[in-house]
Order: sequence, then C-alpha cells, then structure tokens
Amino acid sequence: MNDLAGAALRPGAEAFTHLGRSIEDIRSELGVGAVSIDTIRDPAVYELEREKVFRKTWLKVATEWEIPEKGDYKVKEMPVVDTSLLIVRGKDGKVRAFHNVCTHRGNKVVPTQDFETFGKARANVLSCRFHGWVFNTDGPLRAVPLEGGFGSLDKACLGLKEVACDIWEGFIFVNFADRPEQTLAEYLGDFGKLFGGFPYSEATTAFRYSTVLDCNWKVALYAFSEGYHVPTIHAGSLPGFTGIEHADFKLVGPHASSTIYGGGMEAAASTAQFASVLHADAEHGPRPELVPPGINPRGRSDFQFELPNIFPNFLIHLAAGCGYPGMAYFTHQFWPLDHGRTLWEGINYFRPARNAAERVAQIHVNALHRNAWLEDTGTMEDTFVGIRSGAIDAMHLMDQEFMIRHAASTLDRYLTKGEEQ
Amino acid sequence: MSVQTDTLPAGFEDLVPLLAHWARQTENLRSDIRWKASAEDFKALYEAVLPRLPDILGALEACPLEGMSAAEENLFNLAAAFAEAAPHHELYGGSADVPFSFAAHRFRPGHGDLPSNARILR
Ligand code: FES
Ligand SMILES: [Fe+2]
Repeated sequence: MNDLAGAALRPGAEAFTHLGRSIEDIRSELGVGAVSIDTIRDPAVYELEREKVFRKTWLKVATEWEIPEKGDYKVKEMPVVDTSLLIVRGKDGKVRAFHNVCTHRGNKVVPTQDFETFGKARANVLSCRFHGWVFNTDGPLRAVPLEGGFGSLDKACLGLKEVACDIWEGFIFVNFADRPEQTLAEYLGDFGKLFGGFPYSEATTAFRYSTVLDCNWKVALYAFSEGYHVPTIHAGSLPGFTGIEHADFKLVGPHASSTIYGGGMEAAASTAQFASVLHADAEHGPRPELVPPGINPRGRSDFQFELPNIFPNFLIHLAAGCGYPGMAYFTHQFWPLDHGRTLWEGINYFRPARNAAERVAQIHVNALHRNAWLEDTGTMEDTFVGIRSGAIDAMHLMDQEFMIRHAASTLDRYLTKGEEQ
Repeated sequence: MSVQTDTLPAGFEDLVPLLAHWARQTENLRSDIRWKASAEDFKALYEAVLPRLPDILGALEACPLEGMSAAEENLFNLAAAFAEAAPHHELYGGSADVPFSFAAHRFRPGHGDLPSNARILR
C-alpha cells in the first residue's frame, strides 16, 4: 500500500515532521484508556463550554467568497454565544464583524429569516427598521431620525459593537473575547501553515447542506472525526472504497489532522462516466501538487484527502480532486443550539464548472457525498440517546479515533483553564 | 418558471417521455420526485439514460451554463435528475431512501431552490 514509503519528502515537507505521530506516540501521548462521556451528557458542561470555549476561541463563521463585493454581508445566528452576528465587507473592501444589534434599543439591524442570511448593503449603509437608525458598513452610527429629540446623544460612541475578526486563507473567523488571548495566526499555529497555500478561494461552487440534530454538538463532531466507520456505515454509498488506510496522524496544538489513503472508489457505471468528465480535466482532475507539502509528504499516489479537526468545531477535508472526483475540499461545522441540539453545516466545494456537463458531473459527485453524509448523520441522535441513558459511562477509542481523544482532552484543558492555581 | 417539457435537442427524441416525470430545474424539486419514486421508476430512468450518457455529456459539454435553449435546458435537467437518481438503482436496491440513514428531507440544501445551472452556487 505504502508505495512510496522510502521516497524522499516533498520540498517543504520537512518543516512539518515534528507534527507527525506514530501509533506508539499517539498511544503514549494521549493514552489508551476509555474516555468519559460526562462532558457530552452533562448540561452543566455545556454552559462551561459556551463561556470557556465558544466565547474564547477563534470560530470560522464565513468565507471571503460568500461576501465578495463591497457592501455584501452575511448574518449568522449564534445561540451558543447568545448573539446574531453580522459579517460585512465595508466600502474599503475590509471584512468586519459586528453584533447584529442596533445600539438604539437592541433590535436586529439586519432582520434574519434563518440561521444564515445573505444580502447587500445599499450605498454602504445598513438601517434598522425599528426607528431608522443608520449605520455605515464599517460600523459608525451615521444618522438618527429626529436626533434633536434625544437631548444629548453621543453618536460617536454608538456605532455597531465590533467583534474581533480575522481571515486565514479566505476563511473568516471571529473571537468573542473582549481582548482575544491570541491572534488568529497564533491560535491556528502550525495548522495554518500545514493547510496554508491551497487555493481554497478558487473552488467557489458550493453545495451546502444543514440540519438540526437532536444531539450534543460533540456527538456530531466526533462522528466526522475518524475513518474507522467508513467500511461499515458507508457500506451503502461507498461500497467500493478499497484499501482504505487512515494514517499520518498529526497533533497540532489544540488541533489535529490525519490522512485517508486508499485505492479509491470502484465506481458504479454512472459514477465512472461522470467522474471521467472531471478526472480527465486539468482544472477539476486530481491536483496532488496543490496539496501543501506537510500533507501527503511523500507524494503517495493513493492520497484521498486530509481529515483534520480544527478546535473547537471546524473541519476542512482537503482532497484537491484526489478523492471524490472533482471535489477540491469539503467542510463541516457543528454549532450548538443548546446542550442537546446542534446545527450541522456541510459544504462540498468544487472549482466552477465551465459548461453544463461539468456541472452535471458535480451534481452526481455531490449527491453521492450528500448520501454518505446522510449515513453519517443517521448515527448521531441514536448515539446521544445512548449516552444520556446512563447505560455506559465511557467511549472506547481505537487508534483511528485519536482525534476524538485529542479533542476531548483539549476540551478538558479549556474547561479547567484558570482553575490550576 | 415556464418550462417546456416536450423538447430535447435533435438526436435525443427518445428521451422526451422521461421529461414530464423527472426533469426539474432545482435540487429541491428533483428531491421531491426522487423521494416518491419506486424501484421500477428508478430502473426505467436508469436503463433509458445510462446508454445515452456519453452522448448527453458530450452535448452538454458544448453548453455554457447560462443561455441554454429550452431543449438544452431540458436535457440538462434530465441529466441532473439521472445524476441524483442513479445511485438508488446502482447502490440502494431501488430504494428511494439511502438505506440505514438519516431522513433525507431533514437535510436543507442552501442552494435547493436555485436553478441547478445557476452560474454561481455559493
Ligand atoms: S432599535 Fe434600531 S432604531 Fe430603534
Ligand atoms: Fe463518514
């Protein structure tokens, strides 16, 4: 299987060798014991997570290509931090994030219909529908109807309340701390370098799915954090996934990553035809050279995709067309709505189709992958019922489930932060 | 949405009878049809379209996403329905559900109401 085991490292790969872990390393660093499920089961832990994780860490909330033009905005409902978040590209082209909260009396500046709302600010201003206060897209309060009626009003202090916002590789992150302890670059650390340099922003065709799951957010996250389940839960949608190997384990501070190698799919007749449209093409076909060098460092030809876990709730599965035909990468996010309810978001990203045949082929690959996601999500609510039942107290994790073990220990570290002294 | 359901580009006339049942512009509309389809429905679509798929893909390769004629758009919409339905015949034994999975209607596609040939899906 490991056809290039002795092969030289790709240029630049040596900078990442310190992240690599053998199975022995994983077992000795993370242990092999059962892991308690109390943090999943206990509603009190969820309250701590909100305060110590979701209000303290950098959270991916949007992408630059969702709001490409000046005035474009996205509003994201974020019950986990009790707010509605406005991410907007100002007239200077810069992306900023604000609480979507009018400073007059608290109404939403942009009304929302759903967990995510997209729109465009006309003339680079946003006005609250309640009484008509007008804000510039870069935050300041610009106009107040009947301003004289307020007696005194310090407009300079009444701009939209800004949230720390920064961008990595086109992914827009926010941090709800008043003064974040780390910059985004510091927080991502080696992960930002390991996954950096891929042209994410060129794969702008997004097939996105979401659903609300009756389970704790970590049940959903953990189900997507390992390769152990692939031969069983995906026996229906990925029957020909041959010789799958989950390898190249990496620990990256609070984050982790690993690689799926494999013989690829023994495709059904229709898939073979659709795949040929994409695989044969220079744009959509496998682009192993675009995969950053710390990933698949020996250039194995059976590379499928890289499977990371970006603490706390973001996954970017980087494939560069090597796994699912034509798919550049796909992402998952897991947003707690409350202790036992989670908004899952999965997005498949392709490079733009240049003709109708390429789009149809993408629709097929997307459908196959969506169906695999239906198989994944099918376990989550049942797992949460089982965890709440009290019948078991721990999870028993094998090597390929190391990212669960790592995420659980990272979470423990965050939850007990500040309690050391 | 005025979709003419009776025309396909020259050479694809044999597929016209499939249009009324299967060809729809959006993923949501096609899902509604697929969720109600029987094993026989999937088989009939599959057996009619699979042998023609090389020609269909060849014809669609010449079509930009925007500005297709009504006949070309019908061919695209039929191909999209086939692209989504084929696994039910090939992999799921004719079942309209993905076996042992989450209820498909609970997945909400963000792009679900957009025409599938929209140039920008984001
Ligand atoms: S609450 Fe927005 S203008 Fe009054
Ligand atoms: Fe899976």
